[in-house]
Amino acid sequence: MSEGTHVTRMRIVRLAPLVLLVFVSLVLTLASPQRPETLDPSAAWAPPSAAHWLGAGEGGSDLMLVVAHATLRGSLLALCVSLLGAAVGVPVGALAAMMRGRAEAWVSRTCDLLQAFPSFLFAITVLAAVRSPTRVHLGIAFALTAWVPFARLALAETRVLRSQSFIEASRALGATQARLLGHHVLPNLMSTIAVQLGATAAAIVVGEAALAFVGLASSDRVSLGCILDQGVASMLRAPTVLLVGALSVFALSSSMMLAGRAADR
Amino acid sequence: MKRARGVAIAFGHSVLSCTAVMLILATAVFLALRLLPGDPAALVLGDESSAQDRAVLRAKLGLDASLPVQYAYFLRGLLTFDFGESIRKPGIMAGARVASALLPTTELAVIGVAFGAVFGITAALLANGPWLGAKKRWVNRVLVMVAATPLLALAPTLTFALAVRTHLLPLPGDPDAGLSGLLFAGSLLGLPLGAHAGRIGAAALSDIADKPFLRVARAKGASHLSVWLRHALPCVMGPLVTVLGTQLGALLGGAVVIERLFERKGLGTLMIEAYFTRDLPVLEASICASGLLFVVTQAIAGALHAAVDPRVRA
Repeated sequence: MSEGTHVTRMRIVRLAPLVLLVFVSLVLTLASPQRPETLDPSAAWAPPSAAHWLGAGEGGSDLMLVVAHATLRGSLLALCVSLLGAAVGVPVGALAAMMRGRAEAWVSRTCDLLQAFPSFLFAITVLAAVRSPTRVHLGIAFALTAWVPFARLALAETRVLRSQSFIEASRALGATQARLLGHHVLPNLMSTIAVQLGATAAAIVVGEAALAFVGLASSDRVSLGCILDQGVASMLRAPTVLLVGALSVFALSSSMMLAGRAADR
Repeated sequence: MKRARGVAIAFGHSVLSCTAVMLILATAVFLALRLLPGDPAALVLGDESSAQDRAVLRAKLGLDASLPVQYAYFLRGLLTFDFGESIRKPGIMAGARVASALLPTTELAVIGVAFGAVFGITAALLANGPWLGAKKRWVNRVLVMVAATPLLALAPTLTFALAVRTHLLPLPGDPDAGLSGLLFAGSLLGLPLGAHAGRIGAAALSDIADKPFLRVARAKGASHLSVWLRHALPCVMGPLVTVLGTQLGALLGGAVVIERLFERKGLGTLMIEAYFTRDLPVLEASICASGLLFVVTQAIAGALHAAVDPRVRA
């Protein structure tokens, strides 16, 4: 087997869990005529059965459907925020490293400062201003700190790249700063950025669920954290709810982390 | 003498960056409640409240002054930790409510960090030392798995397994749980921390595992335990302390989750309560207090790092 097919196979294996998870959730949401908010009080806290494959939660909501919807909405939020973070952070970091001098020092210091920031606290702080947060509010709260790891990473990687001979050569041939960045630096950053995208997306999935768990769910209350919240309350009556919630958080966050490594060798 | 000076300089640097972090967080709270659309008084009193009631509350919260004046008052309050009276529990200062919630959270965090440090160091030693033989590769695999599992998924599952299924430990929210409940909650909080520390520690130890100084120590008759504990471990204390320090933000977020899970009183519970009851002074005070807790421990971690590792001191 050649090196190439091995790498391709590795990539497929790493992408598979996330693709599968999203695909199954999509099929379930599209196939079911019900909404995740639909309640069936007679089935409240029911164990898994033919009618409710994963059992039922508070008020008889079908857990499978709630998990599917929450997975889709959670991944969409994580994807948007982490892409936004990368779109802001990578140029900032790469540009700062190419410019050297004071700009580099400032960006580096700001990143160091914000890196250690308790982002969960920060999210609560921002959400304090709204009455019942929507997913957009949650997204804003996460996006405010999501760009930092990208900038930090781009800065560190560009510091290595900027003194390499192909960059020197291109500069000697008269390439502008923008061309150096776009044609030589950014393409070389991609695989590292992809790993960070996966890690950030996973962190946002967990962060969103954790906020929902402690009560700061988005106003539609469809979140993996809300399932966990119900599960903790009903730990003795209906342990499946708790296990379903915990497993879905784990599955979504770890498959995102793995998918990020697909671009890596 | 030189050592003390180096530690002092490192400490000074971390105090500076800590003050900056604190100022950013406090300013963010300040601005979030004042600049973003929506009247804080309406948030507190509800939409049906009369304009007069809102005006009275605004005056009480000092929201009728101009923004720079409010900010000056806010900063003065921050310095003296005086955020005014709690809205929901009149007569009690917000700072006092936060102070009484600070102890349980500190207990939890200290147990978490202690457990994480012990767990991480033990795992790092086991992953490199001769004790487990060929099985030591498994230590790393387990660490990777624990580190990849979010606390949010791990803690409820473990609680279910240990408390509900096997009754080894008291149930969450059990008022008679006492010390064992606290230890259980704290160790859950420390588990991801320990896994991160263990991975970093194991990697750092394997870097120095073949170094001659360890072989010399062994040849001079030191036992394996003494070689790894007395000669190898001090070399990797720096990275370990740094990991424990940088994971503190996650630890504070985790504390909110753990307090909610175990129905424990604490800073996280107070923060959430203040959020839902719109007790703005308490919310401001609790967020600032968590930030303070965070930066102080961060500074201690920085100073400890400088104390154990001469390379960090300038």
